[in-house]
Amino acid sequence: MADSLLDERAIRLDAVAADRDAAIRLCGETLVAIGAAEPGYIDTMLAREQSVSTFVGEGVAIPHGTLGGKELVNRDALAVLRFPEGVDWDGNPVSVCVAIAAKGDGHVELLSALAEILLDPDQAAALRGATEVDEVLRLLKPVGAEQE
Amino acid sequence: MPTRTVTVGSASGLHARPAALFVQAAAAVAPVKVTIQVGEKRAVPANSMLSVLSLGAKKGTEVVLAAEGDGADEALDSLADLLARDLDAEEPANG
Repeated sequence: MADSLLDERAIRLDAVAADRDAAIRLCGETLVAIGAAEPGYIDTMLAREQSVSTFVGEGVAIPHGTLGGKELVNRDALAVLRFPEGVDWDGNPVSVCVAIAAKGDGHVELLSALAEILLDPDQAAALRGATEVDEVLRLLKPVGAEQE
Repeated sequence: MPTRTVTVGSASGLHARPAALFVQAAAAVAPVKVTIQVGEKRAVPANSMLSVLSLGAKKGTEVVLAAEGDGADEALDSLADLLARDLDAEEPANG
């Protein structure tokens, strides 16, 4: 699954962040580490968050860059970071970040598939509580399928 | 029930930022309850980020807004206007 949308190297189940911005940086660093984005993309993720929160409910936020940040994306990819201790996201508790790097507008389908998963309370709870990488891959499989 | 049919105007579709602005606006017209629908899919609450994202609406996608209660028409007019605009183009250069 090396070039797939969600690479197991981009899944971290025990991340710790002091605050929202630290969590976004960790998400961005993960996307950079797998070669999906250039380091400058992280700043555009922080800028996006200042413009509009990416908190979507169900304890999940979906940090991603601005439109201008697309030039810093090498390939479409996700990173999933779980924060077992939670992160305060402008007053909302977040325990999972699904960070997004997207070049084109394929991420509309991607977000739609992700939203469908999170609208199911059981699946959303399973994602928040996931302790195995395989479980995250299984839960988010429909998101990757949307890209094919 | 009053409805409005609108074509999504935002360049990147009804996703993160345009969706967030729309959801905020839909929440602000409470107690008027607004739903949004794409094609044959079921209508979903317009004030739920996840529901709106699940629609997968792109630029040019036709959506149907519906609302009930006092002020429904005014609420629909303002939300329809918001959806038709290119909210990405209104984004600050670095924001």
